[in-house]
Amino acid sequence: MALKQLRAMLDRKEISAVELTQEYLDKIKSKDKTVNSYITVCPDSAIEEAKAAQTLIDSGSISALTGIPVSVKDNICTMGIKTTCASKMLEDFVPPYDAFVMEKLKLQNAVMLGKTNMDEFAMGGSSQTSYFGGVKNPYDVSRVSGGSSGGAAASVAADLCAAALGSDTGGSVRQPASFCGVTGLKPTYGTVSRWGLIAFASSLDQIGILAKSAEDTGYILNCIYGYDENDATSSKNSDGDYTSLVGDDISRLKIGVPKEFFGEGLNEEVKAAVLDAVEYYKKLGCEIVNVSLPSLEYAVSAYYLISSAEAASNLSRFDGIKYGFRSGLGEDFGELIKNSRREGFGNEVKRRIMLGNYALCSGYYDAYYKNATRIRTQLKSEYASIFEKCDVILTPTAPTTAYKIGEQENDPVKMYLADIYTVTVNIAGLPAISAPCGYDKNGMPIGMSLIGKAFDEKTIIALCDRFQRDFKGREAVI
Amino acid sequence: MRYQPVIGLEIHAELLTDSKVFCTCQNEFGGSENTRVCPRCSGLPGTLPLLNKGAVRLAAKAGFATDCTVNNYSAFDRKNYFYPDLPKAYQITQFESPICTDGHITVTGGKDIRINRIHIEEDAGKLIHDDYEGISMADYNRCGVPLIEIVTEPDFRTIEEVQDFVEQIALRLKYAGVCDAKMEQGSMRVDVNISIMPVGSSNFGTRAELKNLNSLKAIGRAIEYEIKRQSEILDNGGTVVQETRRYNDNHGDTKALRSKEEAHDYRYFPEPDIPPVLLSDEDIAEIKSSMPEMPQMRFKRYTQEYGLPFDDAKLIISSKEFSDFYDETVKINPDYKQISNLMLVELNRNLNDSEKTISDVTFSPVDLAELVKMSSDGIVSKNAAKDILKIMFTDGGKPHDIAKEHGFIMDNDTSGIEEIINKVLSENAESVASFKNGNQKIFGFLMGQVIRLAGNGANPKLAKDLLTEKLK
Repeated sequence: MALKQLRAMLDRKEISAVELTQEYLDKIKSKDKTVNSYITVCPDSAIEEAKAAQTLIDSGSISALTGIPVSVKDNICTMGIKTTCASKMLEDFVPPYDAFVMEKLKLQNAVMLGKTNMDEFAMGGSSQTSYFGGVKNPYDVSRVSGGSSGGAAASVAADLCAAALGSDTGGSVRQPASFCGVTGLKPTYGTVSRWGLIAFASSLDQIGILAKSAEDTGYILNCIYGYDENDATSSKNSDGDYTSLVGDDISRLKIGVPKEFFGEGLNEEVKAAVLDAVEYYKKLGCEIVNVSLPSLEYAVSAYYLISSAEAASNLSRFDGIKYGFRSGLGEDFGELIKNSRREGFGNEVKRRIMLGNYALCSGYYDAYYKNATRIRTQLKSEYASIFEKCDVILTPTAPTTAYKIGEQENDPVKMYLADIYTVTVNIAGLPAISAPCGYDKNGMPIGMSLIGKAFDEKTIIALCDRFQRDFKGREAVI
Repeated sequence: MRYQPVIGLEIHAELLTDSKVFCTCQNEFGGSENTRVCPRCSGLPGTLPLLNKGAVRLAAKAGFATDCTVNNYSAFDRKNYFYPDLPKAYQITQFESPICTDGHITVTGGKDIRINRIHIEEDAGKLIHDDYEGISMADYNRCGVPLIEIVTEPDFRTIEEVQDFVEQIALRLKYAGVCDAKMEQGSMRVDVNISIMPVGSSNFGTRAELKNLNSLKAIGRAIEYEIKRQSEILDNGGTVVQETRRYNDNHGDTKALRSKEEAHDYRYFPEPDIPPVLLSDEDIAEIKSSMPEMPQMRFKRYTQEYGLPFDDAKLIISSKEFSDFYDETVKINPDYKQISNLMLVELNRNLNDSEKTISDVTFSPVDLAELVKMSSDGIVSKNAAKDILKIMFTDGGKPHDIAKEHGFIMDNDTSGIEEIINKVLSENAESVASFKNGNQKIFGFLMGQVIRLAGNGANPKLAKDLLTEKLK
């Protein structure tokens, strides 16, 4: 059900916040054994929050999210509630503070149902690297949910929450949204404060939203965006009111279609569905512009160098000294740190740490990290020139639909290459939204992405909403 | 063979900000372990650094204090290494683009020592090892204390140059309010890079980096030891290896800590959590205009304009507060020399005797200026001025009131003193006879009798002149 409808039901007292929360908790109880979208469910605190929300509703003091049950990805710090990053390393870590977005949700008296499953430390596109077991796709539980916000996407698709907060470093909101048939928004870098988001790659990370519609992502973003002095990279340029263009005439918008996104490696069914979406907008009167992003071929390499370098440094603090997992082995500092990290991190995390450190080593720095930053500059300027010709860019979100669990996870390079359509948005710091635009022959959702100009979430939300008014989505089977 | 040492310095100075450099914890020395820590400075996941603008300002001031260029653009980088006293496992520092560059300080002998750069960074915590229990504990109070690192070129050739430079840096940082520069407490730490080469050569040798030097004396002894050690190696046909060495003050020697091969690869890269520091020309001009007069400028003023001896000028500037007091006083009464003497001798005596510092003094420069004027105007004698100063220092009060109350106002009436002299002469006929027989020493005794009878208010010069006249 859309947030607008839930809001109306709550406000008209057709259902109480406690009843609504209990409904979701019951569904989680019955369905999530199969989906595994949550790492931690918080029934007691959720009911308490729902009660508090209902008091406010009864007194007529209502904010947009008052009493709305949401899930939060388990790399977003929640005071007093375990925040594990799906890692053995932080299995028992309870943050003594709330992330900025949690403060915002609490300010609105939203109800936090629990913490969602993910790839360990948000590294991956399948949500199978979680220490707590992989996430299943609600459209076909033999398939992956995508990742890294796979739990968030699955929790929305299986209706185990009204909406979800995730994080997107290279596609981690959009790609699972695409695999799970929900809408995923990655805002412009700096729109949502990263304070309390356990860092993977600081210059790329951005908290995003997974919801049942584009309009819903806008509603949530309205509540969580904003400058935060605790995050020096958060921006004062965001102007809010992200649903203000919804329903407006979009026919004057120019939509760019970059040819590099439709080349080799793109599944034919996906290609067809995305081109159908292009056709849809064309019929509405939008001008379709052929554009080009020549540096796309270097984007995955640049992304993995930059993100792994930053991750290697960001994850160094997990040394077994202050908090988190500590190995029982080791006679001195060096051994203790080594063994704690060896035993505490999973293979994919270790792989990225090694890759990142390698890229930063003196002697390799110029060839790898420095060159990657050059590509970053190049991609930004290529996007800038594309946006001189159009307002929005339309691409596939991922080259394929959700694949079978166990099919690709053991081929890291193949997995990395599958990020090709999402990473450039993070590298350039742009906003993008992924929404279902079709289904393949197995009934698995296909996602398209709309990429906007920096701080222009409004336009992509409105454009996506227009599509969703005519698109017949299918419910998940779970 | 005779060798020439080549020395460069890396000086870490803790900035006198109220809070730490990337969080709001208090920046103080001492205190119980882990009482000044927060999620940020203890490196909890999800936290982000919050740059203290005060630290940027003080670092820029350090630049102005050392004739550096303060840059419009500077940026932070991460220096990655594992150690339990470094909670994030990286230190935030400025590697590629430091805030200040290209400074210099003129040292003894008139030589210019070039300063390569000054950059901002954060301090690490401290480890406390309990050998008895076999455990190590981490104290993160010092974590995130703002530091600057001042890096010189290898321009030093003598210990004296090094010590003079360090002394000057410490004083300038204190004057600029950048650092309290207490080497023994570690708020200023000097690392010495030293190599030797044959006299006359211009090819630098392999250097050793000396750490744990917490006094000027230690710096001198460590360099001396190191020159000897490296010379012996070369004389015996060996080669000096590049390494870090720790100075031991008890033994006066240095021991190897780690060699170049064991050195970390710090994997520096731009800190993504902190945007670059951008200072406009106006910002930089504003910071510059807030700089107080530097000690070397004061020294010039005292010696060239005020005519003070070098040693006196150096003594005055060695404490900014003391020098400030002097400046305030001479602004009211430009009796440079007398005020300098009174402060350096009498005031310092009082300070030393009472184990106080200039900031404890309760009288004002106005009072001191007044006292010196009273003395130079002949209202009180020079000796009385010393006594009055002591009373002002211990009991307080205005100099004029004290002089009156204690009868220090000089009596310039000749008839009064003449009467006393006559009385003394008649009562001491034997001594007068002895003087007239050539015993010059007896004059002092007679003078003493006169002053005793005349009391504090006697004008000693007047009395002496009259007594001499009478004894003729």
